[in-house]
Amino acid sequence: MSIQHPLEECLKTDLATWEIGPYDAALPGPMKLRLSLDGEVVVSAAYETGFLHRGLEKAFEQQPWRAVVAYSDYLDTDGSIFGELAVCLAVEEIARIEVPRRGQYVRVLLSELGRISAHLGYIVRVAKAMNAETIIHYVLRDRERVLDLFELATGARYTLNYLRFGGIQTDITDGFVERVLEVCELFRVRLKEYNDLFTYNHAFLKRTQGLGVLSADRAAALGVTGPNGRASGHAFDVRKAHPYSGYDLFDFAVPSAGGIERDEGASVGDANDRFLLRLREISTSVDLLKQAAEGIPSGEFNYFGWGEKAIIPSGEAYSRVETSRGLLGCHVVSDGGPSPTRIQFRPPSLAHFSAIPELVKGIRLEDLPVLLATLDPGISEADR
Amino acid sequence: MSWMSPWIEGIGILDSAPAWVLAALSLIVIYIFIVVPCAALISYLDRKLTADFQARVGPNQAGPAGIFQPLVDGLKLLQKQPRDPVSWREAAWLSVHTMALYSTVAVLPLGSAVLLVDTDMSAFLPFWSALVLALGTMLLGFSQSGVPGWFGGIRVAAQTLAGAFPALIALLCSGVAAGGFRWSLLAAAQGTSPLQWTAFANPFQFLAFAVFVVSGLVTLGIPPMDAPFSSTDTHGGVSSGLWGRRYILFRLGRFYGFFLWSVIAVTIFLGAWSLPFGGSDYLREQGYLRLLQTLELLWLLLKTLLLMILVIWAARVNPRTRVDQVTDFAWTVLSPFALLALIGASVVVAWGYFQ
Repeated sequence: MSIQHPLEECLKTDLATWEIGPYDAALPGPMKLRLSLDGEVVVSAAYETGFLHRGLEKAFEQQPWRAVVAYSDYLDTDGSIFGELAVCLAVEEIARIEVPRRGQYVRVLLSELGRISAHLGYIVRVAKAMNAETIIHYVLRDRERVLDLFELATGARYTLNYLRFGGIQTDITDGFVERVLEVCELFRVRLKEYNDLFTYNHAFLKRTQGLGVLSADRAAALGVTGPNGRASGHAFDVRKAHPYSGYDLFDFAVPSAGGIERDEGASVGDANDRFLLRLREISTSVDLLKQAAEGIPSGEFNYFGWGEKAIIPSGEAYSRVETSRGLLGCHVVSDGGPSPTRIQFRPPSLAHFSAIPELVKGIRLEDLPVLLATLDPGISEADR
Repeated sequence: MSWMSPWIEGIGILDSAPAWVLAALSLIVIYIFIVVPCAALISYLDRKLTADFQARVGPNQAGPAGIFQPLVDGLKLLQKQPRDPVSWREAAWLSVHTMALYSTVAVLPLGSAVLLVDTDMSAFLPFWSALVLALGTMLLGFSQSGVPGWFGGIRVAAQTLAGAFPALIALLCSGVAAGGFRWSLLAAAQGTSPLQWTAFANPFQFLAFAVFVVSGLVTLGIPPMDAPFSSTDTHGGVSSGLWGRRYILFRLGRFYGFFLWSVIAVTIFLGAWSLPFGGSDYLREQGYLRLLQTLELLWLLLKTLLLMILVIWAARVNPRTRVDQVTDFAWTVLSPFALLALIGASVVVAWGYFQ
């Protein structure tokens, strides 16, 4: 039996455990994170979600078909249009409804506006995680312009409840297209402003470069899609791979990591890449908006006339939509009754969550909020 | 307390009061009539100017243009009940904090005629107090009995130690130019025109000035170097468990550190209190002592507030720097530059001597 030196016994150090959440400024929403810390360095982390479970999928089954779109708004209120679109696409496939061209274009317009709005919200969350106050207010000021457009078209700013099986609820307001073009011009200017103010800030680069590197292989293995996946080099975009709602008619390039000049210490798939990719996606969305606004055809906006009721036959369908966070799948089963038999979502954020435990290993406690903000898992859609 | 005499002449009871009573009184007067109002003013200007930078309105409800907002905030915090009884650790922190606060008020340079302690080591005394203040803040963090406070306390210790070294070297630079560390000497070495201020005397002194200001941010944990008080990862760090009266005390202590640092920076680098166009000498010759004290104080405070606002301005657009990056920066960037400035400043002084 060895005798331990008394001093050694005093100075014996061990890993500390700290459980944060369900409500914590470091977290993107209600969730728990059990951290194991060596000093300030995170050794391992386990997450627990489910604190925002609202039984959304069950609620669909208990409501008539006409309530489905309204409920799907609450899948993820950051980009409520994507939930609506996913459900509508699946139901339209079951009922073999063909959406008129004008309806498709308006859906594209709203999707891309929703993407811009969600990405601006993302910039705010990242800036907030590292206490860069000024950029937050500039971005929020510009996001108001996008929300104004939502209000002009749909009457609501967040939970739009605007799409309908077969198209959209009402035709877009006069002047909407012109104002979309104005916003496109605005964002060309504003993106440069954000870059000057924040993106190329030395302190910001120092904190995000090389942080939480997710390789393309791991992204693919975990099923991480969307901007996070593309920032790692996993170039998959539903709009290109499985075009829906007329996305194949537009000419746009999907940004992906690689081909950007990199500072020393930065690698593909780090937090800075994820942030940059969102900015580039805003630019892509502006391109798409411009094309859609300029080429929007006239004519019917809904397959059904006023007062006509969609009858959903029995059958099932699976639709895929590229949301601001990644691939959103929606499986709809109908038995021909007045309400859906089953509606199930595959939210992109579930995969983002599964990436957390491996990304936080070895980062400092102070970088935890930054990492989570740049990964941006949506609690709302993951818990539903 | 000679500086008080022009003010208390004719008040019989004070004329005959012993010196220690007057000294204590003067500390209280300075604290209540200079430090606290400056804290209110800076917090108001901070909020209002930041609002302007960020395209929003800022406080506008309490009083015209919201000028009573700091007062209202203070009153609100005063009303709050303490959550739990004072622990012995918190009591220790409070006493350390109070000691540091009052000892620095005594050495605060506030004008040629308002120097309470003007010794050969004057300029170093506030440093000692800043370190004690940091120790108190660290103890406060540990006393929070929670992980956030613990991390906050450790970060305070790391940053203070890292920032103190370059700051001391930068202080030496101005001392080398002035020939000593008496406040009066440091002030007298500078003229009234900005070109005669130590900071603009030569490039090395300007470097020393920049190092001094930045290392102050590091030492005291002022934004954007405020990782010990970070709210996103550690719920406010050291201050995570504070509110009500204790939070006011804590905030005042934090402000006081910043204020003290800026006053010192102005005194040793930015022309101290000398009024422009030889005003100080004129007033002294004419015997207008009260006017001299008031104007010099206002002039010094004006420069101090401007410097503080500059720092706040920079802090508002920059993200918070990580604590290990801050300490790295202090040891590997600030310290070498401080040493370079010291060597350069010494060479300049020697050159002048041999000429």
